Amino acid sequence: MVREVDPPSIQKDFLLAALAEGKRLDGRIPLEQRKIEFIFGDELGNVECRIGKTAVLAQVSASIVKPRDDRPYEGFLMINSEIGPMASSIYENGRSSDSEVLITRLLEKSIRRTEAIDREALCILAGEKVWQLRLTLHFLSDSGNLLDCASMASMIALKHFRKPDVEVIGDEVIIHSPEERAPVPLAIHHTPLCLTFAYFENLPPILDPTHLESTLCAGTLTVTMNAQREICVLSKAGGTPLSAEDIMGVVRVGVDQVREMVKIMDQALEKDRESRVIEVQ
Amino acid sequence: MFSVKTILPTSTQSFSDDILSTHRRHQAELDAMDLDEDEFGAGPSKRNIVTPGEVITSSKEYMRGHGTYVEDVNVVSSVTGTIERVNKLISVKAIRSKYVPEVGDLVIGRIVEVGPQRWRVEANGRQDAVLMLSSVNLPGGVQRRKIESDALKMREFLAEGDLLVAEVQAFFGDGAMSLHTRSLKYGKLRNGQLLSVPPQLIRRLKSHFHHIPPPCGPTGVDVILGLNGYVWVSNGTSQEKREGGEGFDSEGVYSDKNDDIPPEGRQATSTITNLIKILADEGIPLTDTLIEESFNWINQNQLPLGSIAHNDAERMLAEIVGIDITA
Amino acid sequence: MSSSRIEILNDGGLRHDARRPYELRSTSFQLNTHPTAEGSSTVTQGLTTVQVSIFGPREPRQRSQASHDKAIINVEVGVVPWAQGGGGIKRVRGDKRLQEIGASIRQTFEPVIMTHLYPRSEITINVQVLSADGGILPTSINATTLALISSGISILDYITSISIGLYLKQPLLDLSFLEEQDLPNLIISCLTNSNKITLAQMETRLHIDRFEEMLNLGLEACKVLKIEMELIVKEQTEKIVERMNVKSIISSNASGMNIDE
Repeated sequence: MVREVDPPSIQKDFLLAALAEGKRLDGRIPLEQRKIEFIFGDELGNVECRIGKTAVLAQVSASIVKPRDDRPYEGFLMINSEIGPMASSIYENGRSSDSEVLITRLLEKSIRRTEAIDREALCILAGEKVWQLRLTLHFLSDSGNLLDCASMASMIALKHFRKPDVEVIGDEVIIHSPEERAPVPLAIHHTPLCLTFAYFENLPPILDPTHLESTLCAGTLTVTMNAQREICVLSKAGGTPLSAEDIMGVVRVGVDQVREMVKIMDQALEKDRESRVIEVQ
Repeated sequence: MFSVKTILPTSTQSFSDDILSTHRRHQAELDAMDLDEDEFGAGPSKRNIVTPGEVITSSKEYMRGHGTYVEDVNVVSSVTGTIERVNKLISVKAIRSKYVPEVGDLVIGRIVEVGPQRWRVEANGRQDAVLMLSSVNLPGGVQRRKIESDALKMREFLAEGDLLVAEVQAFFGDGAMSLHTRSLKYGKLRNGQLLSVPPQLIRRLKSHFHHIPPPCGPTGVDVILGLNGYVWVSNGTSQEKREGGEGFDSEGVYSDKNDDIPPEGRQATSTITNLIKILADEGIPLTDTLIEESFNWINQNQLPLGSIAHNDAERMLAEIVGIDITA
Repeated sequence: MSSSRIEILNDGGLRHDARRPYELRSTSFQLNTHPTAEGSSTVTQGLTTVQVSIFGPREPRQRSQASHDKAIINVEVGVVPWAQGGGGIKRVRGDKRLQEIGASIRQTFEPVIMTHLYPRSEITINVQVLSADGGILPTSINATTLALISSGISILDYITSISIGLYLKQPLLDLSFLEEQDLPNLIISCLTNSNKITLAQMETRLHIDRFEEMLNLGLEACKVLKIEMELIVKEQTEKIVERMNVKSIISSNASGMNIDE
């Protein structure tokens, strides 16, 4: 892995001094997220999510495959994510750094292992044909907090995506093109979203760290939650040791934040739906 | 609320003596609390031993030394070892640690890299040591000036993989040690074998060059106890030859060739090596007298030289050092 | 969630291996189990055994990696092919899961090892899982703590780690592999003196009210582990100190010449 040049120490001192007064360099308060923006592509399931200058493009596609023998009723959800040098020069093509592994593993855990997608609803013909969803993430620019951005991009892309309607007559499967029949949305159980907090020594945590903040912080904590007040994934590895109350503190902050984010997502989806013709007249 | 099952894991019989019963825990807690301020450094008592995170005393009254750190108002240990106090300075001496060099230490090292005007030497420290071309004696006398061609011939003197004995001269800014071999005692090693023991077993002594006289081999055996835990055991030479007196071969200092060593000499060398290994395995600090005494013990009992049988080693340790390793 | 093949907690309040909910598995801690490493340990918790060996601080293998003001820490995790026994996931070197475990161990210990004492050097932590029956990460962390202690590298405090599961409303401590498969599972590791958490990992859905209970329970279990570890460490240390003092009995040369300070 290429080692990044450390930011100048004067910048570090300035940032810490500002944080001690409860201010951040971009004018946010400690527990405030950057502005979230969604850009919907022409196709269904193609969404770019931006938090500040961090951008991740998610693309969902579906194909029909044979299910696994031991799970004949379940479809697949595959997550492809590789962080290339496009996002930031610290990432190398082909070689996965520690931070990259952590991002992809956490995404996998928060979306796949929490069963965000009803995989049984992806079944077309038991033991024969199931949908295989492929979620591809393109990390366009890393300005800190790639993970939160990627998790939002993934969830909104999955919500935005619609799979073609299928009809089963006996053993025969007919796939209707979007022109014939309106495609159907995926069955989504819940919307797990990641929230990353950064810690600085002897300072309260900050939400959604920028690139500079995350290079200078003493550790981060990522919690994946849904609007039902459930913690899906919690990951704090290393960094400043925290007491149980500190952890509970950020979890409580997370509850409200995730609700807010889900609301923003739903509004964006609603707006997009109005401008888009999906139903067949 | 909790209990720890103290059943032997079926697969790990050998762990038996490490399994503890829960009631002994209270003893440890009591001991920790009993640590009285007046008791530091008071004999080899149990209370002298601390482990990381253990509060030793108040930082208001004492200063922190090595192996400790200050948290709030307490001096806290950061290693496992024994508390040592010098007036108001509290430090903890780790029972095991990497070699920490000091100026004047005698070390044995291995050349790992030949660089511009310098050799890099692996000497069991936390960084490689450096031997400058200007800190070695070159063939042709002590006073010889170094010329440009010497820098080009560096690999002829010492090449990668060569062993040498040297003294710590100074430290660089980054903490790496700088060595020198500007004494006839120091320099390249040959005619023997290298041993690696935990560095804390080697104490700082008046001399680290020891000669075990015959009957230990026809010419005796030389032992160099490097403070970095490397020990060199080689076929003996006479006092004069070693220190540049009569018969000192100044041209042969950088020779790569071993002398002709008779089988008895080789056997004596390996006997001493094995003795040192036995002592080191049991964690006994090495001194010249101890090594010599153990050899004499072997000799008196007329045991075969070379390798030493396990039960003989047990007997030797019991008789010489007075410890019982059978338990 | 998934249908359990085993009864997690029976009517008598016992788990599938006849433990009570808050009972830890049998533990054994062993120090200095590797002949050439600076520090090493083998920790067994139930049927999970992990050996950790520590090399360093030493000259970094890749000198470009060296940091001028602190030691760098490398963690390598390996699982022996026979570790899994009956049930388990095949894990090979370079696997993302193993890489994640390695990263977790590194990040857990980075703030605890006093790296600023060892500038321009490298500390390598080798974790070898010898047999796996759940709780690989907690056992590895416990073993790493012991290995660090035996290596004499300065650390702030003991770090102990434990996994906590939840069955219906009953938290369970120190999960076995079978339990790990079926239950929401939280792994924490903490500094026992300050009671602060350095690592918390959870992978399954859980309501936040239950979470707090599990967290506090885990903290207490970590303390119990620490007491057990400390006993072993002290016992071992006494033995070594005793041997180190043997010199005064026999050597005239050595005594009085001890100028370490």
